[in-house]
Amino acid sequence: MSVSEKVSLSDALSNVDVLDELTLPDEQPCIEAAPCSILYQANFDTNFEDRNGFVTGIAKYIEEATVHANLNELLEEGNAHAVMLYTWRCCSRAIPQPRSNEQPDRVHIYERTVQVLAPEVDKLLQFMYFQRKAIERFCGEVRRLCHAEKRRDFVSEAYLLTLGKFVNMFAVLDELKNMKSSVKNDYSTYRRAAQFLKVMSDSQSLQESQNLSMFLATQNKIRDTVKDALEKINGYEDLLADVVNICVHMFETKMYLTPSEKHMLVKVMGFGLFLMDSEVCNINRLDQKKKIRLDRIDRIFKNLEVVPLFGDMQIAPFNYIKRSKHYDPSKWPLSSSPTPLSPQADLMVHLPQIREEHQNYISELARYSNEVTTTFKEAGSDAENKAVTELCLRGLQLLSSWCSVLTELCSWKLLHPTDHASNPRCPPDAEEYERATRYNYTSEEKFAMIEVIAMIKGLQVLMARMETVFADAARRGVFAELQDFVQLVLREPLRKAIKNKKDLIRSIIVSVRETCGDWARGCEPQQDPALRGKKDGEASFTIKVPRRNVGPSSTQLYMVRTQLEALISDKSGGRRTLRKDLDAGTLTQIEMFHRQSFYWSYLLNLSDSLQKCCDLSQLWYREFYLEMTMGRKVNKCMVRHQHNEECNDLVTMEKRIQFPIEMSMPWILTDHILRTKEPAMMEYVLYPLDLYNDSAQYALTVFRKQFLYDEVEAEVNLCFDQFVYKLSEQVYAHYKQLAASMLLDKRYRAECAARGASTGAGAGRYASLLRQRHVALLGRHVDLCALVAQRINSDMHRALDAAVAKFEAGDITGVVELEGLISVNRLCHKLLSRYLTLDDFDAILRESDHGVLAPYGRITLHVFWELNFDFLPNYCYNAATDRFVKCRGIQFGVGVSREKPQQYGHALLWGSKQLSLAYSAQYAQYSGFVGAQHLHALVRLLGYQGVAVVVSELLDVARGLLHGTIAQFTRALAAAMPRHCKLPRYDYGSNGVLGYYHAQLTDIVQYPDARTELFHAFRELGNIILFCMLIEQALSQEEVTDLLHAAPFQNILPRPFAAEGEKPESKQKRLEAKYAALQIVQNVDKYGTAKQGQLSREGDLLTRERLCCGLSLFSVVLRRLRGCLSAPQWPAPPTHTDDTNEFHRLWSALQFLYCIPVGETQFTVEELFGEGLHWAGCTIIALLGQQRRFEALDFCYHILRVQRVDGKDEMVKDIPLKRMVDRIRRFQVLNSQIFGVLARHLAADEERAGVEHVRCFPPPSAPQHAMN
Amino acid sequence: MSTPPKETIQKQIQQDWANREYIEVITGSIKKITDFLNSFDMSCRSRLATLNEKLTSLERKIDYLEACVTKGETLT
Repeated sequence: MSVSEKVSLSDALSNVDVLDELTLPDEQPCIEAAPCSILYQANFDTNFEDRNGFVTGIAKYIEEATVHANLNELLEEGNAHAVMLYTWRCCSRAIPQPRSNEQPDRVHIYERTVQVLAPEVDKLLQFMYFQRKAIERFCGEVRRLCHAEKRRDFVSEAYLLTLGKFVNMFAVLDELKNMKSSVKNDYSTYRRAAQFLKVMSDSQSLQESQNLSMFLATQNKIRDTVKDALEKINGYEDLLADVVNICVHMFETKMYLTPSEKHMLVKVMGFGLFLMDSEVCNINRLDQKKKIRLDRIDRIFKNLEVVPLFGDMQIAPFNYIKRSKHYDPSKWPLSSSPTPLSPQADLMVHLPQIREEHQNYISELARYSNEVTTTFKEAGSDAENKAVTELCLRGLQLLSSWCSVLTELCSWKLLHPTDHASNPRCPPDAEEYERATRYNYTSEEKFAMIEVIAMIKGLQVLMARMETVFADAARRGVFAELQDFVQLVLREPLRKAIKNKKDLIRSIIVSVRETCGDWARGCEPQQDPALRGKKDGEASFTIKVPRRNVGPSSTQLYMVRTQLEALISDKSGGRRTLRKDLDAGTLTQIEMFHRQSFYWSYLLNLSDSLQKCCDLSQLWYREFYLEMTMGRKVNKCMVRHQHNEECNDLVTMEKRIQFPIEMSMPWILTDHILRTKEPAMMEYVLYPLDLYNDSAQYALTVFRKQFLYDEVEAEVNLCFDQFVYKLSEQVYAHYKQLAASMLLDKRYRAECAARGASTGAGAGRYASLLRQRHVALLGRHVDLCALVAQRINSDMHRALDAAVAKFEAGDITGVVELEGLISVNRLCHKLLSRYLTLDDFDAILRESDHGVLAPYGRITLHVFWELNFDFLPNYCYNAATDRFVKCRGIQFGVGVSREKPQQYGHALLWGSKQLSLAYSAQYAQYSGFVGAQHLHALVRLLGYQGVAVVVSELLDVARGLLHGTIAQFTRALAAAMPRHCKLPRYDYGSNGVLGYYHAQLTDIVQYPDARTELFHAFRELGNIILFCMLIEQALSQEEVTDLLHAAPFQNILPRPFAAEGEKPESKQKRLEAKYAALQIVQNVDKYGTAKQGQLSREGDLLTRERLCCGLSLFSVVLRRLRGCLSAPQWPAPPTHTDDTNEFHRLWSALQFLYCIPVGETQFTVEELFGEGLHWAGCTIIALLGQQRRFEALDFCYHILRVQRVDGKDEMVKDIPLKRMVDRIRRFQVLNSQIFGVLARHLAADEERAGVEHVRCFPPPSAPQHAMN
Repeated sequence: MSTPPKETIQKQIQQDWANREYIEVITGSIKKITDFLNSFDMSCRSRLATLNEKLTSLERKIDYLEACVTKGETLT
């Protein structure tokens, strides 16, 4: 749109209305205070600048308006001075002081001191002038009003209230001046420097300086000056009594809105009574004369023992009374007794009511808000507007009352700090402020505070959202009510006044009508019979009152209210009051109007009122306490020197400019939620943080002090970091616990719970917190979700790192626990991924495993390391249990030293201590052996690649054994073998055969290294072979499981049952059709792109073909081992039946050796070596192709065969024959099993190789028969 | 200062009402625009945060994949 183009107003307005229709989704649940980047507040308060426009008003009130305007300006100035005093920070502490008069740079120091402090001192001077001027002005007003002529005249409510505000201002300024010792210190520093430099040369400025010094140094100076000046005025106490009475009246009828107004009323009562009570006047006597009601004030003071004075300063208004001259405790039965405790000290008594109010109001608001958003109308009816206005006012009043409950509690707590005796948690040497905040609240109180804060901030958000609707209704409603009242209601009294010639009443009513009448035709209808004092005739006269969307201006409202007040006031300067001339009905109507219109100014200034009603900024400010403590006592010598014993006794003050966050209310509350992890409160956690927003806003707009804002900001930075840290830690721990307890067996969990170990995760309501994408803090918007995600991501990495490290610190049996840990982490990741964007789990796992950059990761390496250094040397295989176990009581190899396990927090492992215990008990069952569970876990963790690496490394070890130890021993033993060793004939008997062999093999039997070294080498080789075989079994089982899972998606369906007469094919077809939707390839082909189709086909092929190509790991292992059994280490010896060069002969000798039974106390061969020994021997024999010869020629087998025939049993050379034979029999069975397994694998291998090693023997031919 | 006739003052006051209503309407509209801008801001922040999150996640994935791919290069 070009600039020059004109837009009509209605177009512009409809453009604005259209904005509403744009949908602006914000997907985060609203659990924080109103976030706004732009704050727009219009202020139409003119401070009576436009008073001259209302010339038709009564002159007296226009004059009064002028006075009001002046007084308001003074009040504003006073407030600025109060801010100046409150936020004063000591400058002189930072200024270097000349140590002696001889110091050469002292002139320079003094010059700079004066230069720096001069502007500050000027402010103090201005403050002194101001208080003089203000006291003078105030006393002037009082004097004017107390003048004998005027005394009985009516003084308006607004006027009295303004005087009350002055009284309040004096009290505040006086207390601030008393409290700020740093102001005095700074001024004396300045004065010393100025006197030295003789800056103040003329006598007048010297005098002023002296005055200022005296003014600052004298305690209660302002208070006393005011009191002295007032006491000189005759009858001032009556006026003050009026002021106090109006405050009591307004307090009791709740004619105030913001908490500060409420507290102002109470302070005025206290300070006002103090000012009244003097030599000439006794408040007790005034009470007797019913001029004031002390009993009512007593009740108020008891209910509100402490009120905030300014910032974190508070005051007990009753103390003013106690200090007054004629204090009589009997007049103050409630306030003077310490019991019962003031209700303001206990938040818990208010909480149920606040909850109920909140609930009711919220539901009402929700109903109305739905109505507004679903229906569109230009403007509601008068009744609707009125209802909405009332709703809005009620909301403001509720907010204000909750806010004051909170601030009053805090004030009370500040004035009543705890100590070690009443709260054992509070250390005896705790600081003052700590005692007032940190240790001063119980846990319930903190929760209650959080809840109330949340209610306030939550309702503020809701009301702010409807602000335009509310403001619109308020303006329309107020306008309608005002005009109806002025144009219609006031007609009748006007008529009567004209008729009865009551000129004063007539002129006031006319003036009211003219001041704010908005007549339909521009001016009052002249033909109105009421104007002539006549009743409406038969031709009824109607007035059409217009409607507008605007409220009266501030001056207009003041004029109307004050003039009406004059009508209904029961004071009127000695004459009879005007009330008497009005009839009762009219009086009630006017009084009603007067009372209701009190709140109009707040409603017309809705946005400002809303903010003021919810302002909790003062919870953070602590200038008073900072001033009081000025630092912290430390038991430390601060002087730079060689410290000695005396230094230990020194207690010095450490300079400190702020309190730590642990003493700061917003953080105390936030931290309380995080510390207790209370799920019901978790969603409130952002509300206490919003207090910082309030404080910062206050520092910027009211205090206008950059350093305060900076301090708030610094604290927020610190707190928010802590907050995010603690929150993410908690979230992670919670979901970890959740995952861990989900994976724990249900019955086991119940058992644990029965024994008092809770393994379940508590409730946690983090979901809406984790969806916060823009948390408003000091004008910044923080993506909480991303911050938490970032931290949890790194926690995830660390947790997997810890899992792997834990595995690395233990032996191979830890692999089952590792898998468990990984699956808990995987579940935790899955649960968290619902809310947070985390890295891909497999990527994290690979990274923690160091498997991204290296070809194989830490797990694979450790598995191999453990296999090589612990598993192979130390474990024995037991076929009965299908497990490898360590030999009981004997450590074969050197002890394995592993890295010391690092200590990890429970959150990184299983989530909590109880869960860790439960899981470690569970996984303790898997330690001490390596069985199918471990192998399955290994296979799943290592995958194809890892298994391949491990197996190929193991094959290298096997080659080392075959070419090294075993080959050497074989050669050495072969040399010890008898050259020939035949199978003796049966005639010798089994005892003879045994004796023969024993004699033949005596060298071997007595070979010392056989049991200590050679058998171990064979066991290790056997372990390798067994491990390879078992791991392949595990792998195949896993694959089969995978395939079965994948089958339905690949159109592989189990064959359906077909009853007789049914065709299985057709049933199969039906099944296929039924599950067609599951078939990936077809569906992707149908709906996906060509590329996707290709990918899915490839994936399908990969899944389908895994087993079908029939690759067998173990066959490959055997083939490789066969490759090792070749020259030069394993030369093929010439074959002769009785020769003993071949390996199987040697093995027979060894078998003879280990078949010899051992004594009771000795370790058996099985115990020591397991079945690995036999596997190794049999495998070598089988691979060398000597199986048949072995079976035929073996020594032991021969003994067995002979013994079977003769059944002898005797001791042959200390060997019990029968037992020996029994052993032989067992090993024979075992050997044949082993040979069977090997043969199957070798046969399969050879089949695949396509070479048939079947030698075809022709049937024996019998030539003689052939001839025939 | 002579007081102007009653009708003139009443007309002026009515004019004042009208003027102030106009101002209120404009103010109300500005308030509406402010509200709109605020909720626009919130909505944008929420969407940008989502976008940012997606980009960050993609970036991390690319880092990871790059590392995986580089491995191949350095080994061969």
